[in-house]
Amino acid sequence: MKLIDQVIVPLSELQIDHHRPVSQKLVLELLNHAVWAPNHMLREPWRFIYVDRGEVDKLEWFSHHPAAHLIIVIKNSSNPMKQNENIAAAFCLIQNFQLLANERELGVNICVHKWMSDRQACAKLGVSEKETIVAVLELAYGVKHQGGRQRKLPNSLNWSLLSEG
Amino acid sequence: MHLEQLIRERRTIRKFNGIPVSENLVMQLMLKAEQLCPYEGEARWRYVYAGTPEAREKLADYLSEKIMGNKMTKLALGKLVESFHKRFMEVPANVIAIAKTDPVPGKNAEAYGRLCRILQNFQLLAWEQQLGMVWKTEPAPVLQNEQFYNRIGLNEDERFVGLLQIGYFDKAPKGRTRTPAERRWTAMESSSFGNV
Ligand SMILES: Cc1cc2nc3c(=O)[nH]c(=O)nc-3n(C[C@H](O)[C@H](O)[C@H](O)COP(=O)(O)O)c2cc1C
Repeated sequence: MKLIDQVIVPLSELQIDHHRPVSQKLVLELLNHAVWAPNHMLREPWRFIYVDRGEVDKLEWFSHHPAAHLIIVIKNSSNPMKQNENIAAAFCLIQNFQLLANERELGVNICVHKWMSDRQACAKLGVSEKETIVAVLELAYGVKHQGGRQRKLPNSLNWSLLSEG
Repeated sequence: MHLEQLIRERRTIRKFNGIPVSENLVMQLMLKAEQLCPYEGEARWRYVYAGTPEAREKLADYLSEKIMGNKMTKLALGKLVESFHKRFMEVPANVIAIAKTDPVPGKNAEAYGRLCRILQNFQLLAWEQQLGMVWKTEPAPVLQNEQFYNRIGLNEDERFVGLLQIGYFDKAPKGRTRTPAERRWTAMESSSFGNV
């Protein structure tokens, strides 16, 4: 199917199947496509932390519903412009991952939490002071909620022409 | 084209052929890019488009202005800047992507991240139409400077995310291989839940 014909079903719209695990093997397979994201100067600023459901119980700030979590971490740059480019590249990778997962009917929630900037929480995950957590992806299989509320898709853009300025 | 192939084969394109790009197509692809990135509430980002010859000339002026404003560089680099200006003007279509900022750090990161994801969708959707682009974030004196921001009408509560230079192309460059994810991988797993 062409991308133009795809529809994204995020994890929040699924009835989670709690018995179906999300394997490291699958996550790695999808990531190895996702790393083809554009990233300036090919810095590939990212690394990945996979947390399975068993481990989540020890991390009180994690949701217990998803089968696995994938944490996307970048190396910090002292140059704010480069830091922004690295964050942008990581989000391109995350979007690739979401599209690929969606095609395999794996639900993804892309979360930006307050605790991601908490030093203690980071330390517990082995994330150093020289790194930043960009997002936490919640992963699970499920089926679409029956009779769930139909999400409205955007139908217009905030678009203007340079010459109007 | 298969999605995996599309993601792997998309290349940043920096050299365009002269085939015109339709603004309508660019808008359609951007709308689909937003639909592939579902969100609740208001969009906290916007786009400024330059595609007509007049708008492209204006944008090329803004992009060269800061370098030309300096008398020394003007003398030393006049010719170079002229060729810059010409190259900028030849880009068939340009989208400036702008995100709203927010004093709340989480909200700030959210809008920025979402716009980046939309732009990645847009790059992939465009590639499906044989339309290439480069996402530019160059430092001053070309892009990231106050003078340029004033020219494009960036507001106090907004941030510049990128300039997309868009066009059709004759040849895609070869991709440079990526580091396997396994080499950037840490697993936190409980022994009772070995699901590899
Ligand atoms: C946030 C971001 C900023 C970028 N800025 C520039 C830029 O200023 N100039 C440029 O030539 N390419 C820029 N690029 C493109 C990258 O250099 C390109 O993605 C990288 O070289 C990998 O090539 P590929 O996209 O063909 O895989 C940028 C990419 C991203 C994601």
